Amino acid sequence: MVDPLGASGELRARQPKAIHSALTVLEEVARAGAGVTAREVSEGLGLPRATTYRLLNLLVQDEYLVRMPDLRGFALGRKVAELVGQVAPARPPQAAREVIAELRQRMRGGVHVVRYGDDSISIVDSDPDFPFSDELRVLREFDASAIGLLLLAEQRSLGRVSARAAHAGRGIDDDLAAALARGYSSQIGRFVPGFGCIGVPIRDSNGMLVAGLCFSGPRTRIESPERIVAELASSGRSLAPLLA
Amino acid sequence: MTALERAIADPRPVEGLGDHSPMAGLARRSVGFYDVLAQSVSAVAPSAAATTVPLMVAAAAGKATVLALFAALLLCLLVATTVNQFTRRLSAPGSLFTFVSKGLGGGAGFVTGVTLLIGYGFIAMFSLAGAGYYLAILVGHFVPGAESSGLLVSILIVAMGGLSFVVLARGIRISTRVTLLVETLSVGIILVLVVALLSTQGPGIDWSLLSLGDTTPGDFAIGAVLAITAFVGFESSATLGVEARRPFATIPRSIVWTVIVSGLLYLVASYTQFVGFSGLGRDFIDSGSPVNDLATAYGVEWMGLLLDLSIAASFFACAVSSTTALVRVVFAMGREGLLPSAFGRTHRRFSTPIVAICVTLPILTLVPVLVIAAGNDAWQAMSFFIVGAAGGYIAAYILVCAAVPVFLARIGEATVWPFVRASAAAVALAVVLTVYLVAELATPQWPGVVIVVAIVLLAVTGHALLGVRYPDRRRSVGAYDEPTREDVLGG
Repeated sequence: MVDPLGASGELRARQPKAIHSALTVLEEVARAGAGVTAREVSEGLGLPRATTYRLLNLLVQDEYLVRMPDLRGFALGRKVAELVGQVAPARPPQAAREVIAELRQRMRGGVHVVRYGDDSISIVDSDPDFPFSDELRVLREFDASAIGLLLLAEQRSLGRVSARAAHAGRGIDDDLAAALARGYSSQIGRFVPGFGCIGVPIRDSNGMLVAGLCFSGPRTRIESPERIVAELASSGRSLAPLLA
Repeated sequence: MTALERAIADPRPVEGLGDHSPMAGLARRSVGFYDVLAQSVSAVAPSAAATTVPLMVAAAAGKATVLALFAALLLCLLVATTVNQFTRRLSAPGSLFTFVSKGLGGGAGFVTGVTLLIGYGFIAMFSLAGAGYYLAILVGHFVPGAESSGLLVSILIVAMGGLSFVVLARGIRISTRVTLLVETLSVGIILVLVVALLSTQGPGIDWSLLSLGDTTPGDFAIGAVLAITAFVGFESSATLGVEARRPFATIPRSIVWTVIVSGLLYLVASYTQFVGFSGLGRDFIDSGSPVNDLATAYGVEWMGLLLDLSIAASFFACAVSSTTALVRVVFAMGREGLLPSAFGRTHRRFSTPIVAICVTLPILTLVPVLVIAAGNDAWQAMSFFIVGAAGGYIAAYILVCAAVPVFLARIGEATVWPFVRASAAAVALAVVLTVYLVAELATPQWPGVVIVVAIVLLAVTGHALLGVRYPDRRRSVGAYDEPTREDVLGG
């Protein structure tokens, strides 16, 4: 569908140069701090006022900026953090790739490695033979996958409540309590009926959660997880110094 | 490291945000663009309007009907882009009521709220009566004489009211999905008829229909005003501010698209009706029910049956969406203390403003029944309601256009074009409303004008008295869906 606003002047704000301007506007809001007004942004950047207002409104539309309750000021939206999450993580070093390859040979199922941010997940190495059924959902809905549950459990143990945890369903409490008690997370049937996954944390020397190892396979194997968890944990210990 | 990277890596806490929006309780961020579009489109009810309004316009503007509809389309686009100065900046279920409060203050906001409630309320009653009327006509195809039974129409109105209640109470997604489906089907049926008629006419365009002809400017103005009544309701998606996902993108877009799409449908439908009648050598204006007459004359009588069904369905969708908007304005007024706080309560499971629904819907259903019981037929009742609705809507539009320049100046974002557009729209609408109300005073629908003016005066007096008794209540006016800590980086 064509954007009807395009004809009335928004078009200029969508041209390539405008992307640059939009980023400088974000940068200016970050520099000036929450509560900066449209006029201050326009003066700080030396951009024409009408252009600045249009860019600010577009950034609010896309939720990179939030208009404060006084309606004059702006603050960075939670979504700007995703700008960082979008950058593809660097390929893991060769030593790490060898550990992962060796683990995959032993496991007869999908083995994936992810890295964690404060409130984000990035996939470092996904199993080419057993690809994710819904990669986007793994990255967005933390309450669905074992990988996401690990991050939510970590956030809970640190006393932080993320936006995503707040959105998660009510049944999540049992999953998180189990993950915290056992030191690994699991789920069955949330992506593909009859299949599930297990997530094991990889921590740095300070005990911070930095990455995760995930095994995905049929229900029967997820229901008797002892050997799988042991294998993942042992490889995780080798990976920790390489990924942290 | 840039300031942006620093802010992302180590967000500084943001002051001045709460944990909950003042509008919490509705199903926040739960419906997408097409649901939002459905709300505005069905409040306009383009298929019902495309079959009824051209005839009304033609009675005044004669051969310049298509042009009058085009003028109304342009004026409504002007209003739509002006309203969007608000919808791009704040999302409020109180819609124009909240917007005007933010620009011109609580008093003007309250008057806007009342006129908007009149608009939504009268159009809901109009549509319920219309649904009952056209369903009765449908029954009349099988049981001759049924269409003139006031009792049957009343029973059908109550049934439609009951059905609306279920749809409204069960949740916003159900009501927008139902209305979208119904409206798409009925617009589709009209387009089939248009294509069928135009194909019998052969190629070529009758350019004489795109000129003023011998219509005087005064008649043209009245025609354009009547044409505006075919568009009112396009702003109603603004009442879904809390419930829409990415509201600052989807709501402005849905408002502009509703005006464009329904405007194009009206242009095509009115052109077709004119061409169809001149092909028959008859005058369009003398027809009682032009679309049905055309279908019969061109040998597609079965289309008439389908058309009655689709118009009834379109009216039902319009009743649902107008009430959807109305109860959200009532809900916002309850949350702000302008109405008892019970109106601000939502259903625990369905997240709908249940108290507002339970109180208003029975009234909206019973008034048309009573008007018919008082000895009017359904069509008389409908023409009476539409006057009130048009008066209420246009008054609310004038106030919101007047509020835009003040609001933009207040938040320090005033620029030239929005100011010019808002002023032009406010002046044009004020002329339009005056012409319309004066013209309607001379018709049998005059009680509609008197009732609207009386309600507004009563509300203003009531508000002034309330202000004397509870001065602090007026200060809180203008509450909207404020951002919470969860929305910002570092919250």
